[in-house]
Amino acid sequence: MHRPFAVADTCFLIDWARYRRRDILFKLFRTVFVPEQVLDEIRSENTVAWIAGALARGWLSLYTPSSMEVEEAIRLVEWSRLHPQAAAIDMPEALCLVVGRRRGYIVLTENRGALLAPRLNKDYSGVEVWRALEVILEALRRGILEPNCERPDTVFREYSLDTLHLFPSKALEEAVKEVRRLCLSRA
Amino acid sequence: MPIESLEELLSEEKEAREIRRRMADWRFIESQPPRIREALKYYIETGDIRRAAKLAGLALEDFRSLLRRARIPVVV
Repeated sequence: MHRPFAVADTCFLIDWARYRRRDILFKLFRTVFVPEQVLDEIRSENTVAWIAGALARGWLSLYTPSSMEVEEAIRLVEWSRLHPQAAAIDMPEALCLVVGRRRGYIVLTENRGALLAPRLNKDYSGVEVWRALEVILEALRRGILEPNCERPDTVFREYSLDTLHLFPSKALEEAVKEVRRLCLSRA
Repeated sequence: MPIESLEELLSEEKEAREIRRRMADWRFIESQPPRIREALKYYIETGDIRRAAKLAGLALEDFRSLLRRARIPVVV
């Protein structure tokens, strides 16, 4: 089922803002929430301009976490420090995961700790966490992006070229396979 | 966590570290002041951008820009 809301962390936004097709995000989600703690970390002119424009249009929205959410996020940060196999999670990402868990929002992140949290912490196993890879793939599934069926990896390479962000080979391989399946189903 | 999942995670981390090492512009890295240089090396080895940015004394987004200048990719 299509979910209308997402919550984005800093690592996602600062890379995504450089992507040539960055506004597809707002065709996938009615609103993408940005916690105040995340907004505080945004500094570059390009990212600030993009975020300001999207806030003005209502595509992005500022999220002020409640004291209970902040408290839960602190506990999640502590949990990540107690589990060496879990990459570190810091407050901005932790808040996104907490909001994702409590509100059912999709969490947008490029932070490895946040990405692994649903696999490693049962309290967060129901949280859906997407990287740029999953965002692009969903845009392809929903026809927001058109695949290049002759070179199915093009859409992911574009993102990598724009951002110097690469995807792990196994995840990329699976994504390219899915693009091929989409092409076959539309042929 | 099942052993195969743990092995999968370790394998992903190893792959990411090797890509960062291979793609990095080492001449650029070695030409940086000590604090920046060590923070970039720390990032290459760990992929932990927040602690690397702190080590460099830079804000997160400024450190991300520095990674691009050093041709060090984020692999996630």
